[in-house]
Amino acid sequence: MTDSKPWPALLSNVQLAFQGIRDYAIFLLQTDGTVASWNEGARLIKGYSEAEIVGQSFSRFYTPEDQLAGKPAALLARALQEGRVEDEAWRVRKDGTRFWADVVITPLRDRDGTLRGFVKITRDLTARKEAEEALRQSEERMRLMIDSVNDHAIVMLDSSGKVATWNPGAERLKGYTAREIVGQSFERFYPEPEIRAGKPRLELETASREGRFEEEGWRLRKDGSRFWANVVLSAAKNERGELIGFTKVTRDLTDRKRSEEAIVERTRQQAAVARLGLFALEQPDVGAVIDRAVATVRETMGTEIVAVLELSADGKSLVLRAGCGLETASIGPVPIQLASPEAGNGQAARADAAQLGWQAFRMGGVLGKQGGSGMTVPIRASDPSREAHGLIEARSRAARAFRDDDVNFLQAVANVIAAALERRVMEEQVRAAEQKAVEERARASQVREALRERDEFISVAAHELRTPLTALQLKLQGAERGLKAEARQPVTGSTVETRLNGALRQTERLSLLVERLLDVTRIAAGRLELALDQFDLAALVRQVSDDFREPAAQTGSELRLESQQPLEGCWDRLRLEQVLVNLLSNAVKYGAGRPISVRTERAGERVRISVTDEGIGIAEADLPRIFTRFQRAAPVRNYGGLGLGLYIAKHIVEAHGGRVEVSSRPGQGSTFLVDLPVAAVQAVGKRDEARVRA
Amino acid sequence: MVVEDDADVREALTEVLTDCQYNALHAANGAEALQRLRAADVRPCVILLDMMMPTMDGWQFRAAQKSDPSVSDIPVVVLSAHASGSEAAEKLDAVAYLAKPVSLESLVSLVERFCAVEQE
Repeated sequence: MTDSKPWPALLSNVQLAFQGIRDYAIFLLQTDGTVASWNEGARLIKGYSEAEIVGQSFSRFYTPEDQLAGKPAALLARALQEGRVEDEAWRVRKDGTRFWADVVITPLRDRDGTLRGFVKITRDLTARKEAEEALRQSEERMRLMIDSVNDHAIVMLDSSGKVATWNPGAERLKGYTAREIVGQSFERFYPEPEIRAGKPRLELETASREGRFEEEGWRLRKDGSRFWANVVLSAAKNERGELIGFTKVTRDLTDRKRSEEAIVERTRQQAAVARLGLFALEQPDVGAVIDRAVATVRETMGTEIVAVLELSADGKSLVLRAGCGLETASIGPVPIQLASPEAGNGQAARADAAQLGWQAFRMGGVLGKQGGSGMTVPIRASDPSREAHGLIEARSRAARAFRDDDVNFLQAVANVIAAALERRVMEEQVRAAEQKAVEERARASQVREALRERDEFISVAAHELRTPLTALQLKLQGAERGLKAEARQPVTGSTVETRLNGALRQTERLSLLVERLLDVTRIAAGRLELALDQFDLAALVRQVSDDFREPAAQTGSELRLESQQPLEGCWDRLRLEQVLVNLLSNAVKYGAGRPISVRTERAGERVRISVTDEGIGIAEADLPRIFTRFQRAAPVRNYGGLGLGLYIAKHIVEAHGGRVEVSSRPGQGSTFLVDLPVAAVQAVGKRDEARVRA
Repeated sequence: MVVEDDADVREALTEVLTDCQYNALHAANGAEALQRLRAADVRPCVILLDMMMPTMDGWQFRAAQKSDPSVSDIPVVVLSAHASGSEAAEKLDAVAYLAKPVSLESLVSLVERFCAVEQE
């Protein structure tokens, strides 16, 4: 049946025809499988030259496994039987490396049917094979990833929006199993009004038109509960650009949404208190301040009923001073019963904050009979040893829970009312003093001077508070818009977060300012208290200096520290930190970008800290007034600030039994020297005993 | 253009205007503002001007702006935390006065009076 004689004419024709082909190995085999011809493609793919391979068996192109299994002979047999055989498998090059080959073997017969040999055509498909393998692996990885992602619902939708695949994250998030949901429309994840408004359709249309659609909104779980979702819909298209479906990635942001809402709420409350405080600073009429306080609580808390109850002059009842949402006549004076804590010691009980708070609690809120939920806080006197001024109560008709933030807010409002009430007392003193003007002219003018200073203070303070309040208000309103998604362009979650962080930073600035203002009040009232502690002052100086290195570098100033280690002693750590921060921020502010040096040294029982800058300096004429209130040597037009820093610093240092000195020359810089005793007071025992009065 | 020395306030104002699709320039003081104005490809349609600033304050800026014909006709809105802000606005021949703390609505409605939103 076979004839192994060569076929010169055929051979030369075939060789001629296939010689130059490079993409395919095309060669002839004798009937026994020895190679009879070779072309350029065969040389390139398999690596043998014609001289090397002609006359050799074609089985050397097969892997050892295939050779052992008798594959080369089996393929020839199949080719004979079926007229053609095609095989896609690994083959071996001359250098031993493997390639993925597509091989077609066709028998060659004479006109009379005698088998003369075989034509073998081989293509190198390694590149395609590798690409297929990579694709398969990436699909596998994708499937594994999608299955293992639990906090994202990753779902494929077909082009009509029906669910095609469902991952465990989707099951966890939305509550449906794959069996329940595959084949159902994705519309069922949307609240009913949105389906009616055609929102799901619109989203698919947007995604298919623009390739992608992202939004945050409420979605429904299987049990009907809502969650705040971030949804990204991406259109999936085939290579011809036709839509074949969508991938939909959904994340549950409910927790983030809730905490953002809580931050917005808290910031809104802080802004409302700050606005009320500003109003109170500038409004001489206490009644107007209290009315504004009532309105602020109603608007901010959304409580329909707000009442401010003031302790009567005899201290025996609470009288409605202002309120909303209730009939004034229905609330007569509320008698209070004061519990006498230590009965029998002869001391009369006082209506202090704790007593009033207890009173409110016992009565279920003063307005308890109005129903609903309420909270009550005492209007405390700024001096805790005095009687409280009264109570403020906020109540909503519907049941609701109040959070710590809400209580803090109401307490802050109460504090503003307390300050306004106390101011009224001070003004009444002035009027009384004026009545006695003839005999007490001197005293009246003293009080008037105090009032004038206070007015000046109020105007500066109001100005300083408005700056962070502006930033706070804008950031907050921007974030609120973002959360409500009513901006003309969608504001993403991270933007909202950035805005909220910005707003929070402003509330910190505000509270720092308020703290400074309170310091002034404390100093003026002689109530600056120190909390003494044993610590290393040199370490504190180094820590504060380190904090200022960056801000100093921003203005071009280099900050140098020469510090003798250590400086153990007894001081109020927070207060001295405040002094250092003030001196260093002045040095940076007025340092004109030139070097700043900080030195510490110990001399016997005293320690000295000096801060030296080489900046604009202070004129000699201005030196005496820089430590007084609201004064700065630099023009207020160019350098803002309360003008309180050095005033407070000086009082803190003096409370420690030390002093602050300044030496300066205009244009050459200033040196501030803080000189402190090693121990602010002698032999400190318990911390409480260390409290001293300045 | 926002001219304001407090970095937080400047950032907040610029942010809000950007949200409303305005292209907002900003500067930390009068001198920087003049420099930016003269270098700008597109003239701002309104200037929001803080008064108290280091280096060159609002008054000095306004004087310099009025004396430069290439920018003198850009309307100025005075931004101030001082009760005397409206007086300053009058003296400076400003088109309006925004009192701090500025609310988002008043800012946006004022800017809308002078500027068209840029078309995308």
